[in-house]
Amino acid sequence: MHWNSVRTLVVLGLLWSLVWIVPAQAHKVNIFAYVEDGKIYTESYFPDGRPVEGGGIEVLDSQNQKVAEGVTDKDGKCVIPVPKKDDLTIVINASMGHKNSYLLKKSELGE
Amino acid sequence: MLRFRLFAALFATALLAMSPVAWAHFGVITPSDDIVTKEDPKTISLEVKFIHPMEMQYMEMAKPKRFGVIYKGKTEDLLGALQSTQGKGPDQDRAFTFWKADFTIKKPGDYTFFMEPTPYWEPAEDKFIVHYTKVGVNALGLEEGWDKPVGLEIEIVPLTRPYGFWTGNLFTGQVFLKGKPVPNAEVEVEYLNESPDNKGIVKAPSDPYVTQVVKADKNGVFSYAMPRAGWWGFAALQDAAWKLKKDGKPKDVEIGAVLWVHTIDMK
Repeated sequence: MHWNSVRTLVVLGLLWSLVWIVPAQAHKVNIFAYVEDGKIYTESYFPDGRPVEGGGIEVLDSQNQKVAEGVTDKDGKCVIPVPKKDDLTIVINASMGHKNSYLLKKSELGE
Repeated sequence: MLRFRLFAALFATALLAMSPVAWAHFGVITPSDDIVTKEDPKTISLEVKFIHPMEMQYMEMAKPKRFGVIYKGKTEDLLGALQSTQGKGPDQDRAFTFWKADFTIKKPGDYTFFMEPTPYWEPAEDKFIVHYTKVGVNALGLEEGWDKPVGLEIEIVPLTRPYGFWTGNLFTGQVFLKGKPVPNAEVEVEYLNESPDNKGIVKAPSDPYVTQVVKADKNGVFSYAMPRAGWWGFAALQDAAWKLKKDGKPKDVEIGAVLWVHTIDMK
């Protein structure tokens, strides 16, 4: 391979990594969850308040087993009936590997 | 007789020179946590005081007129949550009243706590002091609301997000009086020596080190870089257009907009 091509590739690679890394830091995905009347209400958002639309929601039990799932609506919300009386980890999985979670303790699930 | 008068005059001058004229008063609201993450306890405790922050001197504080929080544009009255308690600085020989309240975060977002005190009569300055005080608390990663004014008579609106400061960061704010920027506003800045994370009491070598002074530009915008980890108070002071009566006589009122922000060291 010609030296110039290698250099171009390296530069392109560096640029690509910049494009890839910087937005991921600035656009951290957050999730918040609470329980009301036997349902888990989740809200997924970027720090500036924009909702995470079409993000995958997974509910994991204390054994890390998936016990429920859903998708966020245009307001970043997703409501799931409480699947199990256990410590539940609610995971938001948005595009490009944006991921975060929120722990709902068994004591917060209500009667 | 002449000699006595001369002596009395000298004595009075000496007394004046010794009196602590330079100490600045600050209304204070400090929360136990200003960035509530998903791992943190959701109930925070707030302390409401009227003190000389750098000199660690408390003043007796009556129950505030208003104490509340603004969240997503809605105001919640928290006056009923205030409990009186007492505190004193190391150099004070008696304790003074200050106030505490617990607050439970229920949703993500920015919470702006604010307080309007009962006017404080300061005989040394022959005037009343009213410091409208506020502090911002962020919860659960949603950074929305910190740049909105509360709508106080005099107010510092942050231009720098008022939480998540490293030590040395520059804070920039804008001073508003009745919703209009205050050109050339004078802003006093003090470090809270009793900050829970202060590594050791700061002793000022002379008065100008106690209270830092910055002047705002023609738009009421000022900046200050904070050189130590802990709580920093910014107080924009003005003479009110209104008066209050003391013993039947109208007296001047100093109104202040006070904002508190917190810094931590990079490590």
